[in-house]
Amino acid sequence: MAVDRYEMLEHLAARVPGDALVMATYIGAVSFEWAAITDEHPRTAHLGQMGDVIGLAVGLALALPHRRVVCLDGDGSLLMELGQLVVMGQEQPKNLTVMVVDNECYESIGWGPDGRRPTATARRADLAALAAAAGVPDTATVESLEDLDRELDAAFADGGCRLIDVKTAPGASRVAPRQTDGFEDKYRFVRYVEKVEGRRIMRLAEQDRQLMSETRHH
Amino acid sequence: MLDQAAQAAVAGLKEAGIDFVSGLPDGWQRNLHELVENDPDFTYVPVCNEGVGFSVCAGAWLGGAKTALIMENSGLRVASEYIARIGLGTGVPVTLLLSYRGDVGETEHWGIPHGIVVEPLLDALRVPYLVVRETGRLRQAIKRAQRISEAQLHPAAVLVSGDCVWED
Repeated sequence: MAVDRYEMLEHLAARVPGDALVMATYIGAVSFEWAAITDEHPRTAHLGQMGDVIGLAVGLALALPHRRVVCLDGDGSLLMELGQLVVMGQEQPKNLTVMVVDNECYESIGWGPDGRRPTATARRADLAALAAAAGVPDTATVESLEDLDRELDAAFADGGCRLIDVKTAPGASRVAPRQTDGFEDKYRFVRYVEKVEGRRIMRLAEQDRQLMSETRHH
Repeated sequence: MLDQAAQAAVAGLKEAGIDFVSGLPDGWQRNLHELVENDPDFTYVPVCNEGVGFSVCAGAWLGGAKTALIMENSGLRVASEYIARIGLGTGVPVTLLLSYRGDVGETEHWGIPHGIVVEPLLDALRVPYLVVRETGRLRQAIKRAQRISEAQLHPAAVLVSGDCVWED
């Protein structure tokens, strides 16, 4: 059994706390559909790529321990770098919820004459079990929206460090690709974090700022 | 590295404002990792793969941390996938502190390939770098690397060798 990806993202959007940050993938159906569902809200960083999405989310969660971080990764991406689970299990950020959109295939490369190209989760790899073995305290595999809702409610009510492997049906994106690149997405997300955290992150002209300060003193 | 160099590196990291360090310890910088891990001024996240370390540092920067990744130069090859994806594709500053295994003076055969690859690889990744072979230059070099890293929103590196690691 597998859930519909778009409906799964709608359920997440309805439950994610308003002050949470989201680390999502750079491209692909999940990124495009999540952006459409959330009306391109700047609290989502569309910056993760194959093998680095959870790593980015762990760093973000450790840097902002008072703020919930939700990570949207895919099975092919996570499988590329399983060491990310090791650092997640080692650090156990109490504010991190990882959702793996696990359609058991490499969706974004398209389908060939033999159908989809399967990932290792279509065979024997169990991402929730791998995460648990790496030290992630709360893990689950869900195959229905009811089970997903229960996991999300628990994640956002109790906090904690959790990985939810969501078995989803494959299928092309229902919406058009986004037309921004990683630089624009980075600036948008960091400016949003600067605003809600009330602190400066990008420092692109320190000397000029100091000179202005000295000029004022004179 | 020699204790004096490790202390100079810690001073450079602090003066650069770096408060979040990840990395994978190697024979030369093991003592630096220990100093950083036990210093409350740093959040220290050890990793078993330098690519994951780069991703963690990049994510921490997005949340407002100033970050450094400490590793052997062989680790640059592992991290290069993520430096290319995140660094060249997004633009995130991380200061890289690399042991320059294979530099002139190397005693170990296995370090030679690391020395052959590291500078061309840094150039390919468009990562500017300083080679530091004198302990007295290390603190300043880290500060300078961190400064350009922030100004260009891309990693910059310090390669550590010579008098920082050998008493010959």
